[in-house]
Amino acid sequence: MPSASLRNRAILAAVPVLAFALGLVGMAVDAANERVAVAALRDRMETTVYAVLAAMEVADDGAFTVAGDFADPRLLQPGSGLYVEVQGARDRWRSPSSLGRAWPELDAVMAGQTVFAEPPGTGGHYVFRYGIGWQREDGAIEPFTVSVLVDAAEIARQTSAFRQGLWLSLLLAAGILVFAQGVILLWVFRPLRRVAQDVERIESGQAERLADDYPRELEPLARNVNRLLATEKSNQERIRNALDSLAHSLKTPLAVIRANLSRDGAASGDSVQDAVDEMQHLVATRLERAGRSARRTLAAPVAVRGPVLRVVRSLHKVHSQKMIEADVTLDESLRFYGEERDLLELAGNLLDNAFKYGRSRVRVGGRAIRSKSARPGLELVIEDDGPGIDADQRERLLQRGVRGDERVEGHGLGLAIVRELVDAYGGALDIRESDLGGARVAVTIPPG
Amino acid sequence: MRILLIEDDLRLVESLGERLREAGFALDVSTDGAEGLYAGEEFPIDLAIIDLGLPKLSGLDVIRALRERGRDFPILILTARSDWQDKVAGLEAGADDYLTKPFQPEELIARVNALLRRAGGHARPKVELGPVTLDLAAQRVWRGDEEIELTSYEYKVLNYLVMHPGEVVTKTELSEHIYEEDADRDSNVIEVFIGRLRRKLDPDGSLNPIETLRGRGYRLAVGIAP
Repeated sequence: MPSASLRNRAILAAVPVLAFALGLVGMAVDAANERVAVAALRDRMETTVYAVLAAMEVADDGAFTVAGDFADPRLLQPGSGLYVEVQGARDRWRSPSSLGRAWPELDAVMAGQTVFAEPPGTGGHYVFRYGIGWQREDGAIEPFTVSVLVDAAEIARQTSAFRQGLWLSLLLAAGILVFAQGVILLWVFRPLRRVAQDVERIESGQAERLADDYPRELEPLARNVNRLLATEKSNQERIRNALDSLAHSLKTPLAVIRANLSRDGAASGDSVQDAVDEMQHLVATRLERAGRSARRTLAAPVAVRGPVLRVVRSLHKVHSQKMIEADVTLDESLRFYGEERDLLELAGNLLDNAFKYGRSRVRVGGRAIRSKSARPGLELVIEDDGPGIDADQRERLLQRGVRGDERVEGHGLGLAIVRELVDAYGGALDIRESDLGGARVAVTIPPG
Repeated sequence: MRILLIEDDLRLVESLGERLREAGFALDVSTDGAEGLYAGEEFPIDLAIIDLGLPKLSGLDVIRALRERGRDFPILILTARSDWQDKVAGLEAGADDYLTKPFQPEELIARVNALLRRAGGHARPKVELGPVTLDLAAQRVWRGDEEIELTSYEYKVLNYLVMHPGEVVTKTELSEHIYEEDADRDSNVIEVFIGRLRRKLDPDGSLNPIETLRGRGYRLAVGIAP
């Protein structure tokens, strides 16, 4: 079962986070709103107290009246939700709005004090109470308590309307965010979908490689896929070419053997021997090289100097009679992007020729070929002071499928192997005259 | 000269063995690494031909073990392909030369002769002993312009002495190096070979090319040693 798409994963992950965050915001805003509403209510109730006090007339005996024309008409309308009571020492006044309503039990409040109480525990009302001492003309203090009651439903109505609006807008915001994320992800992942489509096109044979214009993050992927494709293609071609040419080349020596066998019954020694030699050579150069995989696409780089020195030391041993002076001027930092065995094969075959044909001096040089590409190329140059390779011989050696020497051990076989390898790495082989007097063979592996 | 061939391909052993014996070498054969290492350590071998892909003990391990135990005869390795990784590993382990399969038996014999010459201190295949000239590659001997006919064993004795110039060589040593391990050896025969060699190389008795050191052995005369 394939795992969930990247976009669905991102959205699935975002939804609970979004719900939690927006929920917290909603709860905080809701609580703040309620506190503001209650504070405003308290202010209004205090104003009402002052209005009632302003409308009060107190007689010398402590009897009092409250004038009927209040600023707030709700005090006159029964059941309006706003109720006032003035409690004197002997007397009591209630606003007309409280007509027929049961009053909660309220204690007297000391003069100069205010008390504010919220539901629950107040019979479903917000209660603001103010204690006042009225100084009579005889100097005695007449205590009053003014109580303002507001039905709790009023605040509930206000806050629930706000709450509804709040949650509705938060839900809308969440919807917009999820939608926007979906659209953004769609846009962000578009190049990936393009890669998938391009790979499909390659699979179906409509394209040969991935395009070069992917976003920076995808460039290494595209580059490596392209390299992989190129390697695979070149390997296939190489194997096909080698096998074709092998099959073709084996026909002639086999025909010779057959002709000889049919001619005199017993094989004619020399010609059979020659034919067998040639077949052996073909198998050694073509079949074996074809079967060997060459370039590992994502191979770690190998240092060049070490393996080259190993080959030089080995050849000093093999050619110990010749007293060859080998001058290796390779930098420690020089790298070959491929397999070490291929590097040994290149250096081994080229140096073997140099030691074999050189008189007293062999020189190995090389440099990195840098470009914008992440993996620099390599030029490896091997020179000797031997007889060199003639110009027309060079041309023949550089042609495909021609060997330079009829003998199995010669410049030819080694160079044939080197050229197969260089081809597999998409490189070039150059043969010219060295200033040492002998052959100068340069192998160039391009940056990749 | 006595050669140890360590090779597990029996067909190759058979054909190479025949060619090497024809070329005048005493031959010991081992078909696996462990047996080969034993032979290399115990027998008086002059040169070993070792295949790198061997059962029981790899060719590389055999070479390393022989070198660690101070055996310093030349070693020629046979590698299955023209594979430089194997060649370099073999030469680093202590081999002196390599030959890649498939090869011509002549090529092998030429390499073996070259290695033996090198080990004997002769750079070129022609060795001159006063008026006598030896061609180690062609296995022919001349006195002046006149070629001397030597039997196979006479040549082997002379060759061994030439490869150890100035050294005293005992009769036992000579017989060990010209005969194979299970051959029926008779050291008196060596005296016969030496006598015949002296007559053929120095018919008028003026040169005395092979000195006898009583009770010790023979030595190629210092005056004419190459």
